[in-house]
Amino acid sequence: MIHLTINGKQITAPEGATILEAAKQNDIYIPTLCYDEAVEVYGACGLCVVEAEGIPKLLRSCSAKVSEGMVINTESERVVQSRKVAMELLMSAHDGDCVAPCQLNCPAHTDCQGYVGLIANGEYESALKLIKNKIPLPASIGRVCPHPCEKACRRKNVEEPINIAQLKAFAADMDLKANSYLPDIMVRTGKKVAIIGGGPAGLTAAYYLNIMGHSVTVYDMMDKMGGMLRYGIPQYRLPKEVLDQEIALIEKSGVKLVNNVKLGKDFTINSLKENNDAVIVAVGAWQSSSMRTPGEDLEGVYGGIDFLRAVINGNAPVIGDKVVICGGGNTAMDACRTAVRLGAKEVYVVYRRTRNEMPADKLEIDEAEEEGVIYKFLTNPISFNGENGKVTSITLQVMELGEPDASGRRSPVPVEGKTEEIAVDSVILAIGQKLVQGDVSELALNNRGNIEADPDFFTTNIDGVFAIGDATNRGASIAIEAIGEADRCAKAVDAYLNGQPLDTRVPYISKRDEKAIDYSDREIKSRLTPKVLPPDVRNKNFDEVSLGFTEEEAKAEASRCLECGCREYYKCKLLGVAQLYDINPERFQGEMPQKYTRDENAFIERNTAKCILCGLCVRSCREVMDVHAIGLMGRGFKTDVSPAFSLPLDQTNCTNCGLCVSLCPTGALTEKSSLQKQVPLNEDYTEEFVEIDGKRASVLVSRYNGKVLRVIPNDELSRSMQLSREELIEKLT
Amino acid sequence: MKIVIGQGSCGIAAGAEKVRKALLNTNLNAGDISITGCIGMCYLEPIVDIYDDDNNLTRLVKVSENDAEAIANFVSSGDQSAIESLIVTDEDSEFLSKQTRIALRNCGIINPDEIGAYINADGYTALKKALGMSPENVIEIIKTSGLAGRGGAGFPTWFKWNAARQSEGEEKYLICNADEGDPGAFMDRAVIESDPHNLIEGMLIGAYAIGAKHAVVYVRAEYPLAIKRLKNAIAQATEAGIIGNNIFGTDFSCDFMIKAGAGAFVCGEETALIESLEGHRGMPRLKPPFPAQSGFWRKPSNINNVETFANVAWIINNGGEAFAAMGTEGSKGTKVFAVTGKVKRSGLVEIPMGKTLRDVIFDIGGGMKTDKPFKAVQMGGPSGGCIPADLIDTVIDYKALGATGAIMGSGGMVVMDESTCMVGMAKFFLDFTAKESCGKCIHCRIGTKRMLEMLERITKGEGKEGDIELLEELCYSVKDGALCGLGQTAPNPVLTTIKYFRDEYEAHINDKKCPAGECSDLIEYKIIADKCRGCTLCARNCPVNAISGTVKNPHTIDTSKCIKCGKCYSVCKFGAVVKE
Repeated sequence: MIHLTINGKQITAPEGATILEAAKQNDIYIPTLCYDEAVEVYGACGLCVVEAEGIPKLLRSCSAKVSEGMVINTESERVVQSRKVAMELLMSAHDGDCVAPCQLNCPAHTDCQGYVGLIANGEYESALKLIKNKIPLPASIGRVCPHPCEKACRRKNVEEPINIAQLKAFAADMDLKANSYLPDIMVRTGKKVAIIGGGPAGLTAAYYLNIMGHSVTVYDMMDKMGGMLRYGIPQYRLPKEVLDQEIALIEKSGVKLVNNVKLGKDFTINSLKENNDAVIVAVGAWQSSSMRTPGEDLEGVYGGIDFLRAVINGNAPVIGDKVVICGGGNTAMDACRTAVRLGAKEVYVVYRRTRNEMPADKLEIDEAEEEGVIYKFLTNPISFNGENGKVTSITLQVMELGEPDASGRRSPVPVEGKTEEIAVDSVILAIGQKLVQGDVSELALNNRGNIEADPDFFTTNIDGVFAIGDATNRGASIAIEAIGEADRCAKAVDAYLNGQPLDTRVPYISKRDEKAIDYSDREIKSRLTPKVLPPDVRNKNFDEVSLGFTEEEAKAEASRCLECGCREYYKCKLLGVAQLYDINPERFQGEMPQKYTRDENAFIERNTAKCILCGLCVRSCREVMDVHAIGLMGRGFKTDVSPAFSLPLDQTNCTNCGLCVSLCPTGALTEKSSLQKQVPLNEDYTEEFVEIDGKRASVLVSRYNGKVLRVIPNDELSRSMQLSREELIEKLT
Repeated sequence: MKIVIGQGSCGIAAGAEKVRKALLNTNLNAGDISITGCIGMCYLEPIVDIYDDDNNLTRLVKVSENDAEAIANFVSSGDQSAIESLIVTDEDSEFLSKQTRIALRNCGIINPDEIGAYINADGYTALKKALGMSPENVIEIIKTSGLAGRGGAGFPTWFKWNAARQSEGEEKYLICNADEGDPGAFMDRAVIESDPHNLIEGMLIGAYAIGAKHAVVYVRAEYPLAIKRLKNAIAQATEAGIIGNNIFGTDFSCDFMIKAGAGAFVCGEETALIESLEGHRGMPRLKPPFPAQSGFWRKPSNINNVETFANVAWIINNGGEAFAAMGTEGSKGTKVFAVTGKVKRSGLVEIPMGKTLRDVIFDIGGGMKTDKPFKAVQMGGPSGGCIPADLIDTVIDYKALGATGAIMGSGGMVVMDESTCMVGMAKFFLDFTAKESCGKCIHCRIGTKRMLEMLERITKGEGKEGDIELLEELCYSVKDGALCGLGQTAPNPVLTTIKYFRDEYEAHINDKKCPAGECSDLIEYKIIADKCRGCTLCARNCPVNAISGTVKNPHTIDTSKCIKCGKCYSVCKFGAVVKE
């Protein structure tokens, strides 16, 4: 036996053992990407380097043998630097997206590609479960979300983005129809959490904290839960029956809901704190913002959310025939379309830029117009004029577009001396909303007048009190933003309650250069949208405008997904190692070595753009299987793995044994799943045995929600049998 | 009477074969006309040496086929008048007379195609002598000589031989690395083309010393003449009983094989060479195990460079002490350099270790070709580094050269004057190594590419602050992390140019200027009106019609059309075209 020291630990190892083997036997982790016991050592990746005292060069531990008295450091500064640079170089030449851009752009990081893909396969239940990992109110959010996911969807570069939001609503509606999903709840912790505000933020935090085993009560000042989803969004866009059902499921999962209690009146933050282990403030922004325009206080001038709430509560004000809505966002759209439905004859939307700059959803802008709304672009109210204290007209300054501002939008500038006057019966100011500060007098506010909450930990100036949503930091935003915060806050509160540290680092992931992506090989397939009620029907009532996707439409729309995210994301060894080091591959940004291409046979898919040239596929094919179906081609940066004679894989003598796929440390080689449309999923892998011709062969089985997705030969016997995956899957199910 | 034409690849490229054919067409006796290999003065090719019956030499240089009759006339009549201008000058003769030739001792003198010529020059006497000693004794002589690997690494030859000798196993291989790949290096080619038997003899002695029965020469396919002459030499030696069974009637047997490499630079790395020999893709293996333990076909193998073997026979004949008497404390014997670039006299130079770079570049090489001052010399090709003008007195010694950041290398010596951009130079060599990387390890495959991209940006004027530091960081990472010598040494040209010419990098990055005026993206050609005579020469030579002007009036360059080819600059006789 050889005696040596690794990281200060004295160990023994058999003579002839490598440093890597010795470390492994002693539970000392050394990263590797090109090493596998099945094949001869290769030494390409250089990640297994270690420093040995008295040896000037770094040693590749996969090949360097132990020797008596050796003193090894596997994590020295020089070693870490070498691995870090190696990973930066490697990732600078790894052309792949770990995660799809839709998911990255969703403020709640919902796995859009995952559920869209599952819907394409008709796996609605799995899709819904995946959505509910991030959004507890998907039927509601699917209907109202301005869907940042779709803005990032790359399908737009082919024709139009996937209708992700509507697909979410579809999956959620399917779930609400029957056997609605209820999450598994962890063992009760005995900790109590009080949440003030039952809007999307409060309900989301409640839902996830309850799943984690905490006892959660949501307190809300209104009659019913839902916050702005209920009181700020009209019925025709989000039927309250849908919201009711989703809230009922949250209640059913174990969250306690208490309505008609108001902060500052019925309780204080501190009083809640006394009876709970943590408090989350999610009170929202319930006050319409002012335009600071003369005449705003005239009778007949309403705040946007105040107006909407009044209508929803059945107390619609008398707005008359001529109504002007000021603003270009979704609340303005809700207000104008509501005004139409209340019977106003002339409804104007006054917006100081043009249609292109309107922040409202394009569909909303179009549908409002179909319903008779008149847009007055490039106009800005300079005064509301009235008689006897009631508004009668509005003076508009005519604007033009000037230079782009910091946001890249061209800023409107007044055209000197050019104004316009419109006679009105009422005016609705839909230009924003803000926190009612008096409600949260116990908390410290920031200079914008919102609750100051830590962006990572959501803590406030009071220990144990957290704050999220519209009431905090930068103020009101979209519901999905609040939901994302609530989800992260739930984790922060859970860590707080358990007295554990919270890792807020954003782990590295690989992203493709958007500009370099070629879509020319994609077939044009237009975006599907659910059918809607005809304009002349819908403008007279508050029935839901959208009729929702049929199953057929949903599947077809979901099938358009380009599958940007990597299917091997959940088991990518490369990503695992990359995330160990604080890497910044952008330092070495440059040309990509390989074109993003796909080559496939019945079971295996290859993408050389993701290949890191560890050589495991080539070597295992040669050394273990003696098949030689693939080899290394070219030199230098352009070296690649290519099937023999550069033929497509299915024209080589590849036996589909799957060994190369199981050894590939990244997504360059993928075993296709049994799903029609391929989806990256966090599958469970287990080793199982099948009887074939009276022999027991080992296979690696992947399942998702119980469904067998992949079966990969896992021993010499199963590899040698040239098995059809379909047969294997059949045997196992 | 003997007329000898220098017919190395260099001579043939310059027209030596045409000269030979023209001479055969004269009334000269065909039997008097023969060839030799590389004479060494590449810049004077084709060269014809005329020996009279008393063996007095008249050397004619830059000979063309049109000179054949004049030469024939001189041979028959002794009348020099028509060939006066061809006779080598005393100054040029110094190029050879100042050298000390051991490895190249027969080059340019004997006929490489005739074993008899080699034997007449004491050929194969060393082998005979060595076979009379014990292998250990041979190794001892090599040890005494201090001979070190001439391929670049400078590892003691005796040590490798001894390790291979000590390795257990019946089957052993002796391999000659003739995969000379450094741009601008041609020492090995010259030895094989000019004196193949010297290589064979050195290898046979080596094979005897380590106990190998098989000798292999791995030579690049781009050296067809070397392969042809070596094949011929092997056949002759085999016929003479020098290669094969029971050589010189002893128990020692050894066969020979030539393997033509397919053109990968990395196959000069010994383990990649072995992979290639075995028919695999040329990629380095992990070391250990070293070839001495597990090499060709996993048998103990010893690999030496051509020049190393070319010294062996001389050492055996003259004794290790004679070799060790030349050179410095740590570097013994002589070293061959292929001197190229902006130097006046380019060619093969063999000098004792311990001489200075100045001796090579100025004394033997004659200094700069143009009036531009000497700037730096790149030693050791893409694996080496540059040595600036103020270190011109550096001694040729492994340690002293290593201390500058450059290396002794295999002998490539590219001389540069002030018109060479050092960033561009580093880019040139890195482009070479990046392309020649085998692609196996991350640091070399991607690291050299990323370094190259940074240099490309810098020479295009797109460099930014921090680039030099990032380059340095990457260089050190690649040196540390690369698997084989190719990657580990690839950053040397970058590191040494940053070390000695950092201001030039800074000028490219900060001022978007190329001080040497070589980076086309950073220069502009202009015509100084006062100097322009309106000769129209530049306008007529401009390939894109960017120059306008009328006869006898100053011309102008339309910079929007100009492609910066530099043609106007080089054709202007009045210095009116300037680079800015």
